[in-house]
Amino acid sequence: MGESALPNSEEQERLLDEALQVVKRESFHMKRELDKNKLMDGLKHASDLLKELRTSALTPKNYYELYMAVCDELRHLQIYLTDEFQKGRLVSDLYELVQYAGNIIPRLYLLVTVGVVYIKVKPGSCEAILKDLVEMCRGVQHPLRGLFLRNYLLQCTKNVLPDTCDGEQKGDNGDKGATIQNSIDFILLNFAEMNKLWVRMQHLGHSREKERRERERQELRILVGTNLVRLSQLEAVDVNSYRKIVLNGILEQAVSCRDPIAQEYLMECIIQVFPDEFHLQTLRSFLRACADLHPQVNIRNTIIALIDRLSHFATKDDGTGIPNDVMLFDIFSEQIANIIEVRPQMKLEDVVSMQTALVNLAFNCYPERTDYVDRVLEATVQVFETRNVELVMNGSHLCKEMCELLQVPITIYNNILTILQLQYFAPLYEHLDYQSRKKIAVNMVSNALDHNTVVSSPEETDLFLMLVSPLIQDQADQPADIDEEDFIEEQGLVGRFAHMLYSDDPDQHFQILRKAQSHFAKGGNKRMRFTFPAVVCASYSLTLRFKEQKEEDAAWQKKCQKIFETCRSVINTLCQAEYSELPIRLFLQGALAASELEFENHEAVAYEFISQAFSIYEEEIADSRAQLAAVMLLVSTIEKCKCFSEESHAPLRTQCAHAASRLLKKPDQSRAVAHVAHLFWSGCTQETDKKEMRESRRVVECLKKAIRTANQCMEPAVQLQLFVEILNKYIYFYERGCTGITVDLLNQLIAKIREELGGLESSDCEVIQIHFDNTLRHIQQLVENSKEKDLTNDGEKLFEGILL
Amino acid sequence: MNFFGFGSGAEIEILLDGADKRKKVEHKISENKSEELSVYYDGETVSGAVSISLKPGGKLEHKGIKIELIGQIEILYDRANQHDFATLTKQLASPGILNQSKVYAFEFPHVEKPYESYFGSNVRLRYSLKVTVGRRLTDLNKELEFVVHTLSTYPDTNTSIKMEVGIEDCLHIEFEYNKQKYHLKDAIIGKIYFLLVRVKIKHMEMHVIKRETTGTGPSVYHDDDTVAKFEIMDGAPVKGESIPIRLFLGGYNLTPSMRDINRKFSVKYFLNLVLIDEEDRRYFKQQEIILWRKGDVPRRQINSAIEESTQRFGA
Amino acid sequence: MVLVLVVGDMHIPFRASGLSPKFKKLLVPGKIQHILCTGNLCTRESYDYLKTLASDVHVVRGDFDENVNYPEQKVVTVGQFRIGMCHGHQICPWGDTESLAMLQRQLNVDILIFGHTHKFEAYEHESHFYINPGSITGAFSPTASEVIPSFVLMDIQASTVVTYVYQLQANDVKVERIEYQKS
Repeated sequence: MGESALPNSEEQERLLDEALQVVKRESFHMKRELDKNKLMDGLKHASDLLKELRTSALTPKNYYELYMAVCDELRHLQIYLTDEFQKGRLVSDLYELVQYAGNIIPRLYLLVTVGVVYIKVKPGSCEAILKDLVEMCRGVQHPLRGLFLRNYLLQCTKNVLPDTCDGEQKGDNGDKGATIQNSIDFILLNFAEMNKLWVRMQHLGHSREKERRERERQELRILVGTNLVRLSQLEAVDVNSYRKIVLNGILEQAVSCRDPIAQEYLMECIIQVFPDEFHLQTLRSFLRACADLHPQVNIRNTIIALIDRLSHFATKDDGTGIPNDVMLFDIFSEQIANIIEVRPQMKLEDVVSMQTALVNLAFNCYPERTDYVDRVLEATVQVFETRNVELVMNGSHLCKEMCELLQVPITIYNNILTILQLQYFAPLYEHLDYQSRKKIAVNMVSNALDHNTVVSSPEETDLFLMLVSPLIQDQADQPADIDEEDFIEEQGLVGRFAHMLYSDDPDQHFQILRKAQSHFAKGGNKRMRFTFPAVVCASYSLTLRFKEQKEEDAAWQKKCQKIFETCRSVINTLCQAEYSELPIRLFLQGALAASELEFENHEAVAYEFISQAFSIYEEEIADSRAQLAAVMLLVSTIEKCKCFSEESHAPLRTQCAHAASRLLKKPDQSRAVAHVAHLFWSGCTQETDKKEMRESRRVVECLKKAIRTANQCMEPAVQLQLFVEILNKYIYFYERGCTGITVDLLNQLIAKIREELGGLESSDCEVIQIHFDNTLRHIQQLVENSKEKDLTNDGEKLFEGILL
Repeated sequence: MNFFGFGSGAEIEILLDGADKRKKVEHKISENKSEELSVYYDGETVSGAVSISLKPGGKLEHKGIKIELIGQIEILYDRANQHDFATLTKQLASPGILNQSKVYAFEFPHVEKPYESYFGSNVRLRYSLKVTVGRRLTDLNKELEFVVHTLSTYPDTNTSIKMEVGIEDCLHIEFEYNKQKYHLKDAIIGKIYFLLVRVKIKHMEMHVIKRETTGTGPSVYHDDDTVAKFEIMDGAPVKGESIPIRLFLGGYNLTPSMRDINRKFSVKYFLNLVLIDEEDRRYFKQQEIILWRKGDVPRRQINSAIEESTQRFGA
Repeated sequence: MVLVLVVGDMHIPFRASGLSPKFKKLLVPGKIQHILCTGNLCTRESYDYLKTLASDVHVVRGDFDENVNYPEQKVVTVGQFRIGMCHGHQICPWGDTESLAMLQRQLNVDILIFGHTHKFEAYEHESHFYINPGSITGAFSPTASEVIPSFVLMDIQASTVVTYVYQLQANDVKVERIEYQKS
């Protein structure tokens, strides 16, 4: 404190100890003298113990300890004096006598102690004594000692401060007694002086000790704050006197002291200590003062603390809410704009975080007013313009704050359609860098999915997909390399979101899908495999709804046709992007859908789709496993299509058979060909009246070819496995009445299998053995069934003569 | 009881009239001894009785008994320089023989006591009653001191003292004291206003200095004594601070200012404002004040006590 | 008591946006010991979700699954039961009982789990049990006119399987119970 460095902590302990010893000793003597009613002698010892508080050698923490010990002893003195006074044994000159003390510290502490006793016993003297005490304390200009002295003053006067509007205790000169105004004046003056002392601490001592000084200042701040607490405890201070007198007094001191530490603390203190009802009525003054604070003060914290507090007040369950005459949002909005304007040094990220708090306030207090939220966003956009900010760097504080701000409307409404109504959301969002825009886009899409937000108009679809364009298409500022896993996850979200696009009106829904597709089409090759299938499947599903409406909608067939045409071109785009397996499956699904739908031209559509699938298969599928899967799928799909005429169906069957037999690997070939048999059996055409065609001959051909192909397999186990599978197929068709399959045929195959099984090594043949046994058991069961039910195949009794 | 000479067996005692009702002051004789003396004012009659007690059966032959009232100024370092400024004598008895104890009444009516008693470092002004019993060889003496206080009334003019002092570019203060003339139970009410502070002040004190001046011409001797040291400020103020002063004179042992008493000595009082900085350098400004004695007031009521003891400058 | 969840044909994200919240509420992690998925998840995301419900998850490949490494068929043993899994698009005709029985014989399983038709089925055939959990998301299928979201929970105790099917009808979850005794 302006002196040379304080003694170190060991020294400190010793000094504090010594001082406490003196206090204890003198206090003992003091009490002894008072017990003997020797007041003057008692006061002399009190003065001696108070002299310990004159020290400059202790740190604030240690001084505080000493101070507390002293206060304890003074309490004893005060009780004694009050007792004496109340018994009528007053020394009328006592107030003067204690002022004879030569050293100012003991003198003033005693004066305060005695003064308070006077006030208690003679309430009429209150005004004069309070004024005197608070003024005489000016004599202690040493910051630490002054702060504690004035704190003692504040603590001692706690219960004697007048707290009424009309003076109940009449003054002794006959004029009106002390009122609340006196208390306010007293505390405000004490506060102003304490704040000055506290601020002064900042500038005493060497600059290299600045950190320590600031730490010590923070330790002592509650001493200054207690003045504000005392003001808030005065019951007679109503909102009017708060507004006109109290707040002004505090703000004046806070603003004029020009000390950042003090300012930040005091503003925070005001917010915490006074009731929210007061804050609501004094917002303008308070916020205007915030604008005038020292540039180093980060008023962001203050503003946000206030906003959060009032938000909480507004939404409290048992609370009264915001009074109607307080245009809370307008005031904040206007004052914050002012603050931003007059404090150009304020960091943009702090500006933004204030806006975030304001948006939350707007929502908490006025949930229906989306225009308030928009106004905040608009204000933010304007700040960006004023400060010429184009792009926000990723990872910067500003970026973080911006993302938080933009996240708020997403979270509070949980309805992205509401966000589309906010005009200034997009402009603000455009300032962000790619990563952040993407993150927000992901949040919006996720939010829509989590809350089942249905987008039911093409306009909204358009707006929203534009908004989340970082997900939909490549951006100008996109980095060259992207994280694959993230990308897949994001596109999955987009794909899922496509199903949130829905309208009860199928025509509207179609427009929506068109709009969506127009956006997805710009997404490039990497994205389309996630987005196009969703649109295609949704389109297929839509056609069903058109059919359901066929009574009301004469054009439903044309509309379905259009949908399939659109899907065709979409799937073709996939092909052009070098996708193959996906388009095949989409075409096959389309063919099935068309087939089931039975609209005009549905056969042509289904045929076209299957042909396309075949083309892709022939031109693009090279992997043998993929080839097998594709062939099986083609076969099964065609088997299910009931729309074809024989003229169309025949080439399809032939294609399938060819494809099956041209597979590279023998086992695949065998299985595929066996699979094709089903097509010849249960496939149907218009000519068969949608019933199974049951081409027995072709079935047997297929199965025999399958056997032949199986025979060509090198590995015995594989061969055997195939035999058993084909045996099962034989039985399947035999049971259904496929002519050309005889018991002999079955017996032959069974015998062959048994023979080969014998030759196999145990490890290979166990599985096959079980399969074979199961098959035989199945046949046994069938035999028993057929005996019971007298079933025949082609005139012969079923399974007659089977050898198991 | 003083016994001058042995075997005479006579005890002389001087008793003052109305002593129990008269105001007394404590007068220090030595380190641990003090006695109470009666206080008289100018123009008051000094009366009483002298009692001469003889031992039973004793007898006292004398050449006459007288009582003198003496006012005297003593310069302590110059014993030769003792000046009686007032001498009044009353004969109590003509020469004769006392066969038994006798009491002689005396009266000095409306005695002029121009100066106040003063007991200083180098000079004393004292009043006493001295009884002398004349004898052949050695006289018998008895002395009784009493104290004289000079009362004044409130001065006609008593303006405040206001002054601005300073050291260029260093320290500039403006001080104000409410009066120039203070009575002995008065309080010095004032304030110090700091106009410029460029030194690191540790604290500020107000001293009351008594200057006793003895001698005249070339052999003038000043004796300064700091009779009061009163801390008025702890710590360093900044420009614009105003520090209140309230110093109760009643807490100190003070006398009225005495101007050229009998052309022998003066007692002057000064207020010394002392500022001490961190390097223990002192800056001071001295200002003379006049102290006077006021008549006693009855015990104050607590309310006026509060009013008086909370006076502040400009408050 | 061993609980086995049987699900499939989610078709996320191609045909559905996600599970119904009502279903999600029922599927609590830690209660189920095994999960058998008939396929057509279609992406990693759905797999990861299943993994949060139980650590033992088995998936067979559906025709739209992205992960080409899922097996075409799988056999899992739970308690006394051998359970076979196959998506079912490989069977011709789709959903045909006898064709499915061929697979059952081949895999030698007590219970055969299959999907693809998006239609819930649970029946006994030739002393073996067949379960199709349907589509848990109610995904569109060209061959099914109306798809009701459904899944199955098997409670396996000794030689008995109690099958609970959960279906979402008119936004309400309805439960049915079928019992199968291993012979």
